[in-house]
Amino acid sequence: MEDRIEQLVDYIMKWCLWQFNSRAWDRKDQNEGVLTKTMQLLCEEPVALETPADRCYWVDAMLLARNFKNTYAWLATMDKKDIKLLMQGLKDRIDYLTITGSLNRELTDPIY
Amino acid sequence: MPYHTFKCSECIPERTKHAVIKGPGEDLTSCLPLGYLNTIPGSISERGCAYCGAKHVIGTPMKDVIHLSHGPIGCTYDTWQTKRYISDNDNFQIKYTFATDMREKHIVFGAEKLLKQNIIEAFKAFPKIKRMTIYQTCASALIGDDIDAVAQAVMEAMPDVDIFVCNSPGFAGPSQSGGHHKINIAWINQKVGTFEPKITSDHVINYVGEYNIQGDQEVMADYFQRMGIQLLSTFTGNGSYDDLRGMHMAHLNVLECARSAEYICNELRKRYGIPRLDIDGFGFKPLSESLLKVGLFFGLEKEAQAIIDEETARWKPELDWYARRLKGVKVCLWPGGSKLWHWAHALHEEMGVEIVSVYTKFGHQGDMEKGIARCEEGALAIDDPNELEGIEAMKTLKPDIIFTGVRPGEVAKKLRVQYLNAHAYHNGPYKGFEGWVRFARDIYNAVYSPIHQLSGVDISKDEIPTDTGFLTQALLSNVNIGQDETSPSEERPYTGDYDCVSKLRGKTYPKLERQPIGMG
Repeated sequence: MEDRIEQLVDYIMKWCLWQFNSRAWDRKDQNEGVLTKTMQLLCEEPVALETPADRCYWVDAMLLARNFKNTYAWLATMDKKDIKLLMQGLKDRIDYLTITGSLNRELTDPIY
Repeated sequence: MPYHTFKCSECIPERTKHAVIKGPGEDLTSCLPLGYLNTIPGSISERGCAYCGAKHVIGTPMKDVIHLSHGPIGCTYDTWQTKRYISDNDNFQIKYTFATDMREKHIVFGAEKLLKQNIIEAFKAFPKIKRMTIYQTCASALIGDDIDAVAQAVMEAMPDVDIFVCNSPGFAGPSQSGGHHKINIAWINQKVGTFEPKITSDHVINYVGEYNIQGDQEVMADYFQRMGIQLLSTFTGNGSYDDLRGMHMAHLNVLECARSAEYICNELRKRYGIPRLDIDGFGFKPLSESLLKVGLFFGLEKEAQAIIDEETARWKPELDWYARRLKGVKVCLWPGGSKLWHWAHALHEEMGVEIVSVYTKFGHQGDMEKGIARCEEGALAIDDPNELEGIEAMKTLKPDIIFTGVRPGEVAKKLRVQYLNAHAYHNGPYKGFEGWVRFARDIYNAVYSPIHQLSGVDISKDEIPTDTGFLTQALLSNVNIGQDETSPSEERPYTGDYDCVSKLRGKTYPKLERQPIGMG
């Protein structure tokens, strides 16, 4: 599982920008929004699109889910329960790399 | 922490924490330099000032405006001869530059009267232009001229004009980035919401952090309009002053250069509820996905995909021709703030070049996070380098080419390292599918320049072979193509026009019917 999480982390780091908004609270919202919706898409669950922000998370999640499926054949062999575990592990790792373990001193600046 | 100390900077120990090498197993929790701090005394930085960041990066690309510096005339140096943010109104904003020409007597007696005279004189000289931006400089800030009061008095006397005042003197931040911040916030505080634009579509965006370098904005605007999207405003390249006053009416902010313009996106999100979507306009895959994301947001995915298919079919064979010849070329990616992360991985994946170093002059730690995340192992990442560090890195890393600004670029040339202008480009635009091929062509032409090869021969001491002919670009570049490797017949070098932007002007676009928003 850890190896697979690292593969997904590497993909996000190389190709995505949504995880790098400039403040910790913003990154937390972004990671939660995009990765939750990605998990829902991969598990074929309904996705809430109630607000403009939801739609932004959703479009990034759509691309991410498609790319994960196209890039990592092993994803098709996993059942939904394991995909949820995988995606939770991915979110924890991305939160660590971009928020809790980050060396970026601007993350806690109270203003933009 | 994998900090790197340059030998030339051992006498400036604080510099150690401004450079790192991305070693095996390193990630962002162990490998990140300091950033966006005051330049250390003794280190000759390549940065610009906060006035420059406000005016010459963000303010002046607005096209239908008199841009006036309230200060010494030298502060307006950066204009048509150094800047390439073109516009579709005959480049008014870079053809003409305005300054109040403050001198010693004004420092003593004040310069508000001088400013007022200059404002009126400029409007009279260009009677069709009714909009003005005024920029404070170090000189006018230090004597305390009240620019806002003067601008207000003129607007009351001339009701058909509108004036924006930007108080971002050169000393107001560690670098030009401080000026980016100040003008973002000043614009939304003073001007957004003061003009009601005409909304002509159900799909309306602001394109933010895009400066129309050699036509980048016009290329992207073409894609958006082909999709049926109304481009309400561009902040700020080829942008119109009044359109930018109406930014609050958009449904989505599409953000390109987060370094220079995330502030206004964040404020528009907070104050008006307009969401922010970050995109990459460089590289086939990042650009394709960016268009798809915008398309998905509005239920226009099919329209986006049609553009991607058409453009990819037209230009991919030409990108592949260059990629086959650029594989393994060593690059130092040394831009100002954001291109290290826009370009690092796309260049590596799509052209096969190796990024051996990234640096940023004025980027924040967030830019370094993105840049380092997108680099391969072994890359040297430097924050706010000084000239000697750049020279040491070039001698150590031995890159084939450097993507940087004019000033460090000229230093590179003296070391016989080729350089391309990362800020203003050589033969741009570089955005868009065709633009990415033009970038590949510029890299190819630089790396395999026969003249560059000849310049390495010193006729005063080197033996000149007389039994070999002149090496052409093709002879030089094809050495890197394997004997058994033949190019597919459709691959070819660039076949586009010298000017690929002007033909986009005046183009008409089909009006799309309102479409239901789908979930895909």
